[in-house]
Amino acid sequence: MEYSLGNYDVVVIGAGHAGCEAALASARLGKKTAVFVINLDTLANMPCNPSIGGTSKGHLVREIDALGGEMAKNADKTFLQSKMLNSSKGPAVHSLRVQSDRRMYHIEMKRTLENQENLDIYQAEIVKILVENNKIVGVKTKIGATVYAKCVVVATGTYLKGKVIIGEVSYESGPDGVFPANDLSQSLLDIGVELRRFKTGTPARINVNTMDLKKMEEQFGDEKIVPFSFENEDNEEIKNKKQISCYLTYTNKDTHKVIMDNLDRSPIYSGRIHGIGPRYCPSIEDKVVRFKDKERHQIFIEPLGAKTSEMYIQGMSSSLPEEVQIQMYRTVLGLENIKMMRPAYAIEYDCIDSTNLKLSLEYKGIDGLFFAGQVNGSSGYEEAAAQGIMAGINASRKIDNLEPLILDRSEAYIGVLIDDLVTKGTNEPYRMMTSRSEYRLMLRQDNADLRLTPKGHEIGLISDERYNKFLKKKELIEKEVERLKNTVIRPCDEVNNLLEKYNSSKINTGIKLSDLIKRSELNYNCLKEIDKKRKELPDSVIEEAEIEIKYEGYIKLQLEQIEEFKKLENKKLDKDIDYDKIKGLSLEARQKLNKQKPLSVGQASRISGVSPADTSVLLIYIAQNGLK
Amino acid sequence: MLTSTIAAISTALSNSGISIIRISGSDSLNIINKIFKTTYKIEPNHIVYGKIVKDNEVLDNVLVSYFKAPKSYTGEDICEINCHGGNQITREILELVLDSGAVLATPGEFSKRAFLNGKMDLSQAEAVINLINAKTRTESKIASKNLSGDLSKKIKELREELIELLAHIEVSVDYPEYDYEEVENSYVISLLDKKIDETSKILSTYEQGRIIKEGVNVAILGKPNVGKSSLLNRLANYEKAIVTDIPGTTRDIVEETINIDDIILNIFDTAGIRDTDDVIEKIGVKKSIDKLDEVDLVIYMINVEEGISDNDLKMLSKIKNKGIKSIVVINKMDKVKKSILDTILSELDRINISNAIQISVEQNVGIDDLKKCIVDMFNKNDFDFEHELIITNSRHKDLLKKSLQYLEEAKNEVNNMQPIDIVSIYIKKVASTLGEIIGADVSQDVIDKIFEKFCLGK
Repeated sequence: MEYSLGNYDVVVIGAGHAGCEAALASARLGKKTAVFVINLDTLANMPCNPSIGGTSKGHLVREIDALGGEMAKNADKTFLQSKMLNSSKGPAVHSLRVQSDRRMYHIEMKRTLENQENLDIYQAEIVKILVENNKIVGVKTKIGATVYAKCVVVATGTYLKGKVIIGEVSYESGPDGVFPANDLSQSLLDIGVELRRFKTGTPARINVNTMDLKKMEEQFGDEKIVPFSFENEDNEEIKNKKQISCYLTYTNKDTHKVIMDNLDRSPIYSGRIHGIGPRYCPSIEDKVVRFKDKERHQIFIEPLGAKTSEMYIQGMSSSLPEEVQIQMYRTVLGLENIKMMRPAYAIEYDCIDSTNLKLSLEYKGIDGLFFAGQVNGSSGYEEAAAQGIMAGINASRKIDNLEPLILDRSEAYIGVLIDDLVTKGTNEPYRMMTSRSEYRLMLRQDNADLRLTPKGHEIGLISDERYNKFLKKKELIEKEVERLKNTVIRPCDEVNNLLEKYNSSKINTGIKLSDLIKRSELNYNCLKEIDKKRKELPDSVIEEAEIEIKYEGYIKLQLEQIEEFKKLENKKLDKDIDYDKIKGLSLEARQKLNKQKPLSVGQASRISGVSPADTSVLLIYIAQNGLK
Repeated sequence: MLTSTIAAISTALSNSGISIIRISGSDSLNIINKIFKTTYKIEPNHIVYGKIVKDNEVLDNVLVSYFKAPKSYTGEDICEINCHGGNQITREILELVLDSGAVLATPGEFSKRAFLNGKMDLSQAEAVINLINAKTRTESKIASKNLSGDLSKKIKELREELIELLAHIEVSVDYPEYDYEEVENSYVISLLDKKIDETSKILSTYEQGRIIKEGVNVAILGKPNVGKSSLLNRLANYEKAIVTDIPGTTRDIVEETINIDDIILNIFDTAGIRDTDDVIEKIGVKKSIDKLDEVDLVIYMINVEEGISDNDLKMLSKIKNKGIKSIVVINKMDKVKKSILDTILSELDRINISNAIQISVEQNVGIDDLKKCIVDMFNKNDFDFEHELIITNSRHKDLLKKSLQYLEEAKNEVNNMQPIDIVSIYIKKVASTLGEIIGADVSQDVIDKIFEKFCLGK
């Protein structure tokens, strides 16, 4: 029997990290939204490592927060341990990471979705996407319900034709033992979406009661906890939370011998896995084969939750047969007698070629069809969530006939992520890294709110209350920078004694406080005694003011680079341009440009195969059209 | 792309009377103000007389015209320097302009800007596109020819260790918890020093390439009346004096080009080779030495009638210390006095010069020996084309010069104890600047290297 579950503005397929953000953004922007998930108990699941953030990923989480997303708040509610990575390095690469309680993360996120106005949640497998005249009409569930929608966001993660591989055994499955989505791939092919196959993997989960943690190095969280969400900057409960430790151990020669002896049983080395895996999370087999000289590899033991004994074995993902895995794990110091609860596995899945997307994440040629998350060829919860919120925002804006929100490479890591995926494309699951950003010093995690809160407010995801609080913080920062630049410190014994204490050269004439802060051996806090007019300020304000002063020169350099970059980004290319008709473009450039239809000359210049000469031709073409 | 201020020599490079250097872009006037000294006011559409000054020294007396945007050929602010012809002086002024903030224009770039700024009509546009394409194609042909050879290999070598260093830095930044050792500052410094050295070496080959392409820059020095003019005339095989003394031109460096056995000699007139004044006495040894920066060969003349003076000896040792090739010529051998010649020879011997050539310009004796000596010194066969890398492209030279500058800045940052990710900004710039020569993308290279060299993952 044909029946309908109703009419929606936006339907989101999948409720992982991308799906949840997409659904919340759309519903919060007032769109009638439905989210579908094969099994509701896997909503916002972490099928791999139980942690949020990390280098550059932590930046993404804070950017999502500044735009009005949920990931940071949910991470703050459910973390077990918090750490600011790279704190000994420059501010551009400080990165927040938390260990999360996997089950609590799911529960809290599910509750947030349940309580969200305009949002309906369904447990159902979507088997068909309905398209008429290249325009989205709706979706169909496996049970037979039709759901009408103006826009659809596909956020299927690794579920599309998911296939789990463990040694010689392989079977159809989504991650974490959940059913895969076997029918949707065909429907996507039917409507003209190109598909390809990627691979990833995850290590075993082991019962902590069978480990000897005393043999390992204990890894503590930070004493001073920095919350993820800017909304929680002053939240004392979060800052005083009791933390749980992780543990560090190592593989050894015996581990490597077990692996080498059984390499012929590894599906990767025997050729049974065809999907393309990421270089940055190789299986332990890969590591041992590729880095033969390395005597040991690090293994981090991370808790899955406060109320479970399951531990995640970071650094030892594998697709070796189960019995080999047990043998292998038991060679590791502290794991001699372990009982494995879930084996490590590799998983293959269908994903799309992200260069078929627009920067808004809408599929080219199918009106209203958006893609977000791992299905776009990315990897990682944070990368998925970042795309999710953008797809949700842009689906909503499309319905309202508004221009899509597109962040450029100088504004956010989200911009770098999406531009890399859409413009350059990827041949392996794409992971964010700080080295992918050209303007790392500007795109810091500490200033994500300064960069993006105004945008979040303008779009409608940041409340007036939060925005006003933000404006106050911004003003405090500006005033403090101004004050530090205008305060002159006169030479006197007190001052010079203090400078001497920090091995800083003494002063003979007056010097600006800001110039003292610039000295690498000094900082804002250590100058407290001689800064008589200093007022109590929040840590976040001090941090911004200090960075702005200390790194002024470099920031200026990057701003100049950004200005240059923007000039080409602002040379817009019409989507109707037929590049075959532009004289002077190379053949390869014509093909690529016709396929990708870049928005600007800047974007065009980043497409592989478009040379600087082609870029000149495009500039001339634009000028020519402007003159007509 | 259109925002930088560009400059180029707009007239054909030759020994014509006048050359024009064109500067276009918003910085044009600033650049002119930095290098051009005049008592007149620079106004749009006026031509102003003045001096091009570098390090307080006058390079040339020139005329500068200024066209204010949009009323100019390119539609941007344009300054044009009308200087005195000759490769050397024109190039020197261009370099000064580039050092003052302009970048070298690519072929067709002035026209391209003119078009983009609406200064050309549509029928011309097509032609410009064709022009740019034609230029780029030839360029890329030449470039790829260059790239298949030593240059790209050398640049790749130069870059490789920097990319590895960057990968090492990035891995410690992107994977802070893995047990890879942090990069030590002392290692960074030693690598940067090595790269500074290598880059300087490659840069210096530009000079060799220039000698092959454009000739040996020669200065004939010596006391007044020693016979410098006559020697020049003799070498040039004609008798008349060749000074084209345009009033108000620089008297510093005027060129005469002579060809000996396929080796081009550009004879420099270092402040009055033909003057009767004793340059050395007048402006001092040090200053005349400084003038020799552009010189590849000094022919130092001694008059056998007068003997050798202390100043001669001082000059000769300074020239030697500066590493400039030199040939000592003892002139007027037709009037030789044995005792003076012996003194000269023993004095020369004292400063380790034993191969002085004895000539008589007047009698045309020994001139062939001198020619042979020059030919031997600069014989093209000396340059091992197969193995020695020679930079001939000024774009490459500019990029190498920039790389050198960023290397120095990176080193500064390390010495200032800046965190390694800040230092990496400059190292990245070096790698990307070098990458421009061979057309490589740093960020991708670094990421590839991270995965190749380091074992990471879950």
